[in-house]
Amino acid sequence: VQTLAWLVLILPLAGSLVSALGFARLPARAPGAVGTVAIGAAFACAIGVLVKLQDLPADHRQVVFTAWDYASTVGVDARLSILVDPLSVFMALVVTGVSTLIHLYSVTYMASDRGYARFFSYLNFFVFSMLVLVLAGNFLLLVVGWAFVGAASYLLISFWYRRATATSAGIKAFVINVVGDVGIVLGTYFVFRHAHTLDFLGAFRTAGAQPEGSLTAGCILLLVGAFAKSAQIPLHTWLPDAMEGPTPVSALIHAATMVTAGVYLIARMWPLFEHAPAAADVGAALGCVTLLVAGTIGLVVTDLKRVIAYSTMSQIGYMVMAVSSGAYAAGLFHLMTHAFFKALLFMAAGSVIAAMAGEQSLDRMGGFRKAMPFTFACFVIGGLCLAGIPPFSGFFSKDEILGVIGERGGWHWVLYAGGYVGAFLTAVYTWRMIFRAFLGRPVPEAVELEQGHLHHAEAHTNPTTGEEEDTDVGFPGPEHHVAERSTAMRTAMAALALAATFGGALQIPLGATDVVDRFLAPTFHGSRFYERLAPSDASAVVGLALGAALGLLGIAVAYHVWVRRPGTSAALQRRFAPVHRLLVNRWYFDELIDAVVVRPFAWSGRFAAQTFERVVVNGVLVGGTTGVATAASAAVRRLQSGFLRAYAALLLVGVVAVTLYFLLQT
Amino acid sequence: VTVHLSILLALPLAGGVVGAVAGGRSARWWALGGSLLAFAYAIVAVVRFKAGGGLQFVTDETWIAALGVHWKLGIDGLNLALVLLTTAIFSACTLWATAREWERPALLHFWLAFAHSAVLGALVAQDLLVFVLLFDLMLVPFLFLTGIWGDTPRQERIAAVVKLFVYTLVGSLLMLSAAVAAAVLGRGNGHLTFVLSDLAQHTLSRGSQEWIFLFFAAAFLIKMPAFPFHGWMPDGYRSMPLPVLAAFSSVLSKVAAYGFLRIALPLFPQGAQHFQTLLLLIALCSILYGSAMAFTTRDVRLVLGFSSVAQLGFIVLGVFSLDPQGAQGALLQAFNHGLVVAPAFFVAGLLAARAGGSEDLRDMGGVALRAPVLATLFLIVAFATLAMPGSANFVGEFLILLGVFKAKIAIALIASIGVAMAAVYALRLFIGAMHGRVGPEVRSRELSARDGLVLVPLVLAIVAIALYPQIALHRSEPAVKAAIAPTAAAPAVAEATR
Repeated sequence: VQTLAWLVLILPLAGSLVSALGFARLPARAPGAVGTVAIGAAFACAIGVLVKLQDLPADHRQVVFTAWDYASTVGVDARLSILVDPLSVFMALVVTGVSTLIHLYSVTYMASDRGYARFFSYLNFFVFSMLVLVLAGNFLLLVVGWAFVGAASYLLISFWYRRATATSAGIKAFVINVVGDVGIVLGTYFVFRHAHTLDFLGAFRTAGAQPEGSLTAGCILLLVGAFAKSAQIPLHTWLPDAMEGPTPVSALIHAATMVTAGVYLIARMWPLFEHAPAAADVGAALGCVTLLVAGTIGLVVTDLKRVIAYSTMSQIGYMVMAVSSGAYAAGLFHLMTHAFFKALLFMAAGSVIAAMAGEQSLDRMGGFRKAMPFTFACFVIGGLCLAGIPPFSGFFSKDEILGVIGERGGWHWVLYAGGYVGAFLTAVYTWRMIFRAFLGRPVPEAVELEQGHLHHAEAHTNPTTGEEEDTDVGFPGPEHHVAERSTAMRTAMAALALAATFGGALQIPLGATDVVDRFLAPTFHGSRFYERLAPSDASAVVGLALGAALGLLGIAVAYHVWVRRPGTSAALQRRFAPVHRLLVNRWYFDELIDAVVVRPFAWSGRFAAQTFERVVVNGVLVGGTTGVATAASAAVRRLQSGFLRAYAALLLVGVVAVTLYFLLQT
Repeated sequence: VTVHLSILLALPLAGGVVGAVAGGRSARWWALGGSLLAFAYAIVAVVRFKAGGGLQFVTDETWIAALGVHWKLGIDGLNLALVLLTTAIFSACTLWATAREWERPALLHFWLAFAHSAVLGALVAQDLLVFVLLFDLMLVPFLFLTGIWGDTPRQERIAAVVKLFVYTLVGSLLMLSAAVAAAVLGRGNGHLTFVLSDLAQHTLSRGSQEWIFLFFAAAFLIKMPAFPFHGWMPDGYRSMPLPVLAAFSSVLSKVAAYGFLRIALPLFPQGAQHFQTLLLLIALCSILYGSAMAFTTRDVRLVLGFSSVAQLGFIVLGVFSLDPQGAQGALLQAFNHGLVVAPAFFVAGLLAARAGGSEDLRDMGGVALRAPVLATLFLIVAFATLAMPGSANFVGEFLILLGVFKAKIAIALIASIGVAMAAVYALRLFIGAMHGRVGPEVRSRELSARDGLVLVPLVLAIVAIALYPQIALHRSEPAVKAAIAPTAAAPAVAEATR
């Protein structure tokens, strides 16, 4: 197990280094192959670990391997150690599995980009970082993985770094992620103060003995980290902007894997959260708020990728709500199915965007159904999963979350209700997007595609000189591929579509199958909630029926508003203008953060530079010394060339004088 | 081979002197040879160093018998890493200078070598008066280097030199008088001595500890510089020629930070304890103020300069957590910052060369396009600067904040804002220079082999220490514990005397 587990980590890193160091020497197409094979091999190794782990007896399925002492000193025990247990293997499988397909997709999608090698190097580095995050065996290594993932995300968001929008989106994402890192570090301190170890298993054993106030503070700081990474309110504003990155990046990082790290974190820290119920409640409540707010914004956004991004936020809200309420297996199951269908939706969206030559606005799309039947099919499958229509995977995973939350009772009924409202919203905005992009009158690009031509963007020209812009790197090239036409991309999408359709079979309620539950059980051994919150058959049936009905109702509403009566949407906007304004402005969260955080900091920076530095530091404080300095420099000016010697002499004289003074004193 | 520290000190200076005498084109090679030999010798010392073996490679000669001054040198866990850092950075800076044309190159190299020896001397000195003298002496070459070869117009750089001189003179005189007072007051009925290990035996009264501590602290804080004693820094940094600036920022400030651990805490523990909160607040202000300035100013050098103010704030914060974890972090961070800031200044110089000589961020941009290798190296340096987890800088900050967290929780929480601010200014610098639209005067080209020879080894060293910070932590642990221990014992002593 040990060798295989380390290989899972090392292969992506090796892939990244080969692509990075060999960028000038390797054949142009090599990085794509290297990257894909490296991740594929890591996936194979992860399966090997899974098999080996299942051979062990259930109470021995948490194994720690240590490579070397990283920073073990004065009572801090930071080793380079990984924890292999069902939870980490589950995450590693999801990460490497989806990544392999997305790498495959990227081989063609990025084929014409001049930054091809750079892209695969970053993408492999991302997978490596994510695996460090999920396999880390102690808090320090977790933070390392956590921050590496943020850095990889930053690099990939601003991949087309000559676009100002891409670089500013990148820095926004990075800084919010660093805030999250700081939250985790401070949370770690709170835990470490009483546990005296950074090791996960060691710290978890002390959870019951920790003072509850300190533990709650620590858990809330850990939540800051989780929320920053998982784009939960109020640290979510970076995610929609992150759609500036290439589409495979959105699919992999900003939908399937990285943004679910917060869910993983809360699940991993379950012993702490179960002893700090107040912190868990905060997490659950904010998850519910996020899923509703993101759902409402999704109704009005017109950028195709941003609709999916808000949907991601909303779905992660479900998962956060789940793992914060004790529905661990359900939350992680939804994490997996969501990875499948959200990656699928993004890939399909990439196909549409390529056909539109980079245009992402839904307002300009329409009628792609005939032009791109394969993409349409993928969108429909993804949409049905998202809306929770049986028997697609999203149906089972979402209903399981809500079923278990219903079992908690008490104020969790509010979350239960919120979850079903969110399910309805999800169905509406998802199908609004699908109907607007694929039904209706075909736009010129769609017509062109039907006739077998591919619409190409014009070459980038410099607005002042009219010369063609240098597209070496830093811009998407003028060439691009539509997923419909490429075998590699179709393969990747088909595999995900199959997984999204049938993934739900792993865990069917009413006692039919419970693969995920049983597999994860060793990690959650001793939990107060795990497998104890099983809904009764009757309530399960009610929940399933309700979920399916709301999903279908949502699709029907979307059909009515955007297909049968195309004017309805505009009428609604007029009728509820204030609400519409609120939603279009994304509940004013960006403005709020700008006013509360960004502007005060910018102001303090300006104050320091323009007022304080000038007046106080160079004025008052130097006042005393300036007098000496002016007098001295006046003297120096007379000495001209020999001024430095004079100072050296002055120094010596001073030294001698003071020494003599003290000698005479004694 | 036994390591003789006097030889280590003599090597760079000998190279410089021989070069100056030989003159002409060969001067630079002599100076470079001296530096590299010192670097090699320092590596030998590191290899032969025994972790937990106390003070090693000791040289102890009576120098001025009447005053009890000893030429006592030695290496322990506190200065081992810094000695290696000093020789490495000075070698890199000398190499950088060697590859460029200067007026009067022999003199320039002589002063660089002189500075090298003086800094090494201040680091290994085990006698208080020797330390004080070398601490002052190491500034002298920088006055000449800035005054003669500075990057700003003559009038401006002379003003900068005067400012730098006046500031540090104040600190030097305070420190000198404090040192003499410490020896005189501490001698009791015995005879006068300046040897550190002897001074540590005699505890001063609480009252004298307090003011003597303050004098030392002032001198160290000015040299670092820490807020609000950084008035000399902006002009000084703008005026220094690049290789000189890299050495200055990387090494000299560390000697000051090291001084706290070597001198101030073991000799004046009660003073350190008394002023712990004050020093922590100064450190906190340095962090916040330095960061705020670093993300406002547009001059690349000053971004790095103010980021150093913030980083040194973290180091002081760690030392004055008066906790072994914080102090271990501070020492590691001193090494890391020195290792990171020198290549950062070199990159800044390369960027300016590509932006038509301007060091203003607004004139830069889009350099990454034609210089992917340079961009990658800079990215690694920038990530290390912002103490990205996975870098050794992060380990340092982690330990520092952990120490402070245990000592004063509120200060740790506020200081952690500085960590997030570092991300803003480091990325702003990277993006401003490398990404975005190509600046009007920018002529981007790849890193040349000549500059790569300096930059690549430094960046590789950053990566290596990031993978295995244990190597430094393991060796410094006993010495750091010993340096911190008196301050922990201090309250007990105070109780007993009362």
